[in-house]
Amino acid sequence: MLQVLQIVRDNPTGSQFLMSSSTIPNLNAFRRGQRGRGRGSGRGVGSSHSGAAGLGHGRHRPHDEIIQNTDNDAATSRLSAVEAGYLEDPFARLLSADEDGPVARRLPLMNRGTYLRTASIDRIVDTFLSSTGHGCRQIISLGAGSDTRYFRLKHKRQNLAIVYHEVDFEANTRRKIGRLRSPPFADKAKTLAGVDMHASDVRLSEDGSTLRSSEYNIHPQDLRRLPRDNADLTGVDKDLPTLIISECCLVYLPPEDADAVLRYFSQLFPSTTPLAIVVYEPIRPHDSFGRTMVRNLMSRGIQLQTLEKYAGLAEQQERLKTYGFRGDDGTGSGAEAVDINFIWQRWTPPEEKERVDGLEWMDELEEFVLLAKHYCICWGWRGYGEGSGWKELPSSSPN
Amino acid sequence: MINVCCRAIAQLRACRPIPEPQVRELCYKAREILIEEGNVVSVHAPVTICGDIHGQFHDLMELFRVGGDVPDTNYLFMGDFVDRGFYSLESFLLLLCLKVRYPDRITLIRGNHESRQITTVYGFYDECIRKYGSANVWRYCCEVFDYLALGALVLGATTDVPPAASDNENTQSTLPPEDEEVESEVLNANGDILSKTLRRRFAGLSMMSHHTNSSRISPAPDVDVPSPPDHPASSLPLQSSPSSQSLFTPPTSTTGAVLCVHGGLSPLIETVDKIRLIDRKQEVPHEGAMCDLLWSDPDEIEGWGLSPRGAGFLFGADIVRHFNHNNDLSLVARAHQLVMEGYKEMFDKTIVTVWSAPNYCYRCGNVAAILELGEDGSNGGCIARANGDQGRREPVGTDGSEGGSGVLWNLASPGRRYRVFEAAPQGTRGMPAKKPVGEYFL
Repeated sequence: MLQVLQIVRDNPTGSQFLMSSSTIPNLNAFRRGQRGRGRGSGRGVGSSHSGAAGLGHGRHRPHDEIIQNTDNDAATSRLSAVEAGYLEDPFARLLSADEDGPVARRLPLMNRGTYLRTASIDRIVDTFLSSTGHGCRQIISLGAGSDTRYFRLKHKRQNLAIVYHEVDFEANTRRKIGRLRSPPFADKAKTLAGVDMHASDVRLSEDGSTLRSSEYNIHPQDLRRLPRDNADLTGVDKDLPTLIISECCLVYLPPEDADAVLRYFSQLFPSTTPLAIVVYEPIRPHDSFGRTMVRNLMSRGIQLQTLEKYAGLAEQQERLKTYGFRGDDGTGSGAEAVDINFIWQRWTPPEEKERVDGLEWMDELEEFVLLAKHYCICWGWRGYGEGSGWKELPSSSPN
Repeated sequence: MINVCCRAIAQLRACRPIPEPQVRELCYKAREILIEEGNVVSVHAPVTICGDIHGQFHDLMELFRVGGDVPDTNYLFMGDFVDRGFYSLESFLLLLCLKVRYPDRITLIRGNHESRQITTVYGFYDECIRKYGSANVWRYCCEVFDYLALGALVLGATTDVPPAASDNENTQSTLPPEDEEVESEVLNANGDILSKTLRRRFAGLSMMSHHTNSSRISPAPDVDVPSPPDHPASSLPLQSSPSSQSLFTPPTSTTGAVLCVHGGLSPLIETVDKIRLIDRKQEVPHEGAMCDLLWSDPDEIEGWGLSPRGAGFLFGADIVRHFNHNNDLSLVARAHQLVMEGYKEMFDKTIVTVWSAPNYCYRCGNVAAILELGEDGSNGGCIARANGDQGRREPVGTDGSEGGSGVLWNLASPGRRYRVFEAAPQGTRGMPAKKPVGEYFL
């Protein structure tokens, strides 16, 4: 007689699986409480970070914590794309949660999406740097999480004069600062990027959640409170040419808070200061893929709060125009929005496409196009003179 | 064996893996059966043609609910049983068990995911390791993959839309008035008609004839006539038939054969017989005829083009038209590409994509479809050979409607019933047993 594995189906009390026997050993997938396992038809996703007790309790966890944890997901995706050869990022592994473990491999289409997201923001950053003379520049990265961009920039150009600010929830900044100051990362930062995380000008707050230096700053700041508190981010220079980066960040805020953040920065800088912004986030929630996306993420406790209001490329572009990147003064200002499929088609040079195509056998073409059409890159600029590179970035009229 | 098989089927239907020794025995038995099949299996209509499944076990159960169970319904699955979904193992083993138990009622052909290399990237390998703790079961399955046929030829399909299952009252109303011939219809999972197309009439040899007779022309072949579900089909607002007789009234209602492959055509293959010459019992090669059959895609191009997938080719309408003409085929049915509506007819209905994994990867939001072809009862059960010259022909022009030098008179396409269905309701699913996150960019 057969011995069988019995799976007790999903029940609302949260005890999803019961193994009754095991002629089939090693069914790790069904074991409850396993790290990184046990996601059900949505419920209890946060469980991967809260141990066995977390199973089934996802809905009770505060939204903030779930959003903070999206950074782990992004870091894992980044590491997967790095390991597969899409991206060059010697810092990714040391800043990801799975620092020591095996790299969670993402599917080729996810790797390509991660690559395009990073490469397109990199190109915006390059445009910003090349459009703004040779003096000191400033970048403010919202919801930066475990992002490695500062170190990658310094890795490529150690002489780059830049002031870099990262803003995130306190839980995330503390974790990141801990990793940045750990010997393996600090060594790497010093040798590869010429950044000394233990230099005398690097100061930490007592609780380890704030980092200040002449160049690199990490602010524990709930973005929702930033406009309300009207507290300046310490060290932000209102006269430096500045780029603001929101990579999957503003979309998680209530629409009025997201708008307030944009208004805050728009008003913080005088109109004479060259100011630019890049936003990467999901769009198009109303077709069947989009509806499924909203539902799936909702069941993991992730709410894309501004998605309804800024649902398409036109709305995204209009938002940037509304908050200061008007585009009514010739080449001095403007706002554009394209989707990630467009980025693959039009921003990626043929030889780079060939390289990326050759990395993995990608059998998910239709799916990739579908997915890529549901994420956008929007950028705006103002206070620029003739000869800036902003108009050279391929764009299309939003539809 | 039958008893063992029945028990295994019951267990797999409950989405429970069977023990490793049983898998081994099953795979051995399956290979014995598959080795007897040619590269191109002959399948007699009626048959229900299915596209990619991709380990979406509960949706496969929904497919059987909508399309009927084996052995009551004769099935043809066009590959990609495994990878991506959380239950590749259960899905493939169930289909294999059904094949062993009812070899003449289910046909399995190979998809590009039935490959060692692809399954190590897209999930089936990991799933086997996870569920059995070793790669043995994966290895047994891969050996079966090597024996799967590369294509199938459906013979004896009628030009009429197949009669609906008797237990389905709704579809009784699909019988068209005598002077209207339904060429294809689309039903939802409950059997309600969503849309239908009427067969074009060709009232004369003159290419201009249909202009004078335009009220009889059904919409463009790829466009469905919308029909509200509560609207009886017989009262579709179409004009009644003028008395003109088609000069192409067929001697029988038999059509040409339907070639089923997972991907598509190959520049190395001009005839179906060429497929029969391939030595198929191997891992899917990176190039060549066998690879192309499993990897190629139709596209809006002329001739052949490079595939962005890195394997196989793109092929245009002219390629399909000539291939069908030269092989007395009326239709190529294939899978391989996600289509949001579950099926997609292209190139003046000379090729159709059938996709049977609803809400693909639990993310895409698409519906799935299966394609039913009916049996031609008019010639006393004699099956016409594919390369005969019987059956009526219809012009297949470059734009699908106008005459001109580009026209080939191809065999009339078979009547087609698509049943469209959505993902199985949540209550019927288990917890997806797979690593979480990563399905979106956060």
